[in-house]
Amino acid sequence: MKNKQYKLDIIPGIVLALFSIGYLALIPQIQTFTGMGATPLTNHFIPTLWGGFLLVLSLWIIARGFRKRKKFLEEGGKIENTSLKDAIMERREVIVSFIALTLYVVLMGPVGFAPMTILYVFAQILILTPREQWKKNIVPALITAVITGCVLFYIFRYMLNVLLPIGILKVFGL
Amino acid sequence: MILEGLMQVLQPMTIVLVAIGVAVGIIFGSIPGLTATMAIVMFLPVTYSMSASEGISMLMALYIGGISGGLISAILLNIPGTPSSVATCFDGKPLADKGEAGKALGTGVVFSFVGTIIGIALLVILAPVLCDFALKFQAYEYCALALFSLSMVIALTGHDMPKGLISAVLGALLATVGLAPIDSRPRFTFGMYQLNNGFALVVLLIGLFAISEVMAYAESVRQKQDFTIRSNVKIKGVGFTFKEFVGQLRNAVVSALIGVGIGILPGIGGGVSCMISYTVSKNTSKHRELYGTGIMDGVVASETANNGTIGGAMIPLLSLGIPGDAATAMLLGGLQVHNVAPGPLIYEKNGVVVYAIFFAMVLSAIFMMLFMLLGMRFFISVLKVPKNYLLPVVVVLCGIGAIGNANALFDTYCMVGFGLMSYLMIKSKIPTVPMILGFILGPTFEQNLRRVSQLASSDSFIGHPIFCVLIVATVFVVIFSVRANLKDAKRAQELEAAELHREAAGGDE
Repeated sequence: MKNKQYKLDIIPGIVLALFSIGYLALIPQIQTFTGMGATPLTNHFIPTLWGGFLLVLSLWIIARGFRKRKKFLEEGGKIENTSLKDAIMERREVIVSFIALTLYVVLMGPVGFAPMTILYVFAQILILTPREQWKKNIVPALITAVITGCVLFYIFRYMLNVLLPIGILKVFGL
Repeated sequence: MILEGLMQVLQPMTIVLVAIGVAVGIIFGSIPGLTATMAIVMFLPVTYSMSASEGISMLMALYIGGISGGLISAILLNIPGTPSSVATCFDGKPLADKGEAGKALGTGVVFSFVGTIIGIALLVILAPVLCDFALKFQAYEYCALALFSLSMVIALTGHDMPKGLISAVLGALLATVGLAPIDSRPRFTFGMYQLNNGFALVVLLIGLFAISEVMAYAESVRQKQDFTIRSNVKIKGVGFTFKEFVGQLRNAVVSALIGVGIGILPGIGGGVSCMISYTVSKNTSKHRELYGTGIMDGVVASETANNGTIGGAMIPLLSLGIPGDAATAMLLGGLQVHNVAPGPLIYEKNGVVVYAIFFAMVLSAIFMMLFMLLGMRFFISVLKVPKNYLLPVVVVLCGIGAIGNANALFDTYCMVGFGLMSYLMIKSKIPTVPMILGFILGPTFEQNLRRVSQLASSDSFIGHPIFCVLIVATVFVVIFSVRANLKDAKRAQELEAAELHREAAGGDE
């Protein structure tokens, strides 16, 4: 039985409501300008407007979600709770992709663009490949990763002057 | 200036860049899941070291190629390569199934060209007029214009208005990060100097459209996606007769005008224009019962409209700095990178670049038609390129785009953050396009609203008729859109209730 319809309102609604409350709470910390040429509407006005608007909209979809939930239960529906483990397993490729991407950008500075790109592209190709096809894809993935890392680093760093991090390649005098 | 613009486009290097841009754009457009926006994202860093005319010409070529390439997979696979080709599937695939794939593809290509040229013609005519008109704009008018454009979000949110509005507000909220307009006081920067200038539009777009696509693909890794690609397609000439071409001209002109009109409206884009023109073409046709069975008219309506949208979307982008869709938002980022400020003064300050853009668009349209008619077999074979190899390379290029934006690694962290946010939004069925509008228009609205608050005591709004007209138009748009949305929502609720009832009944069993 599917019961995701109301969850798609309640969960994002709660997250956004909390976010907007946090955002609104930060507004008093913004320094206002009261000197010559100050505008009657201060720099607090628009953030308060957007933050308040977001809070109202979040509460709207939360209320809508609970209405849907009530209707669902009245119709005799039963709520099934998916365990966290199942939810993670269902989206494991997405989670691993985000971890790989995060490590890629965080380590790019100290390790360098080229080595991290080789590692990332290789890992990401395998993540996006069904496990049963890994064996025949390892070598092509490795070749693609090495070519991508080296060629893009050379083109963008030395031909197009984009300041890509050199990292550990400094030891080779690059 | 016109001649200088033409000369810049006719430089051998620019011609080569436009040709490469069109070819890559067609490839991106033809592969389902990759879009014109992603092609522009990917090639933005390549243009950093080019001159403004070269770089923007290449981005325009990618845009035109990307929108046009979508017809290949729409006709051969029944999967639109880009959202702009959704309606092309309706008649393109049945036509291909009848053994007339060559005719379907030829029709799509030629009328994509016709749509692009009509769009460019209207862009050349209307953009200067709008620029002249916009020269009269002051704080009052800009404030009302931003409000009017934001009100369009309600019109394009479909039956789920609150979620569309949430997306737009989130965009506006993200735009409040950085130094505040007018008084330059830092807001929400948490002491990080990298945030003083706020988030870059390019970085937001990369996160929203490129990273989320990789994640969407990652989610489907374990699902088998088998489809057979018809690779033995032959196009004789252009695939149809001159008589058939003349017979479609009225349909093409109407569809192109619809495309341009929808392109001008902020945030809507080719996906909607092809659907609307298909519906209009069907409803006004003498043989409406044949639509969907594989007739030329359906392909003409869809493809002329989505390519007409290109010219339409460029009109508000160049003259007001307001993008018509996601791809033009990316182009706005490209223009900013090359220090070209869109707005009423663009002809005065960057006239040569503007004319170079026009000529580059015409050149791109010609290349697009030639490449697609002569090299269709190649583009069909590209459909076989495995996405598990292509997408990681796209991500790396996007990362370079983010780094190159300000030569700072910090932007790549923002890119990953926006990618995660975009993925969660898509999972929550919150649309991402209104967010771009909110992000671009939020600061314009704030800056001008605060100026208006300062001027209000000495300069009443009564002396600003354009402001009054725009405010009245905004009220009308809001009222009509809310009414239409409520109707849609009621219908959707009824359908949902029926589904819930079915599910609940199923659960009891």
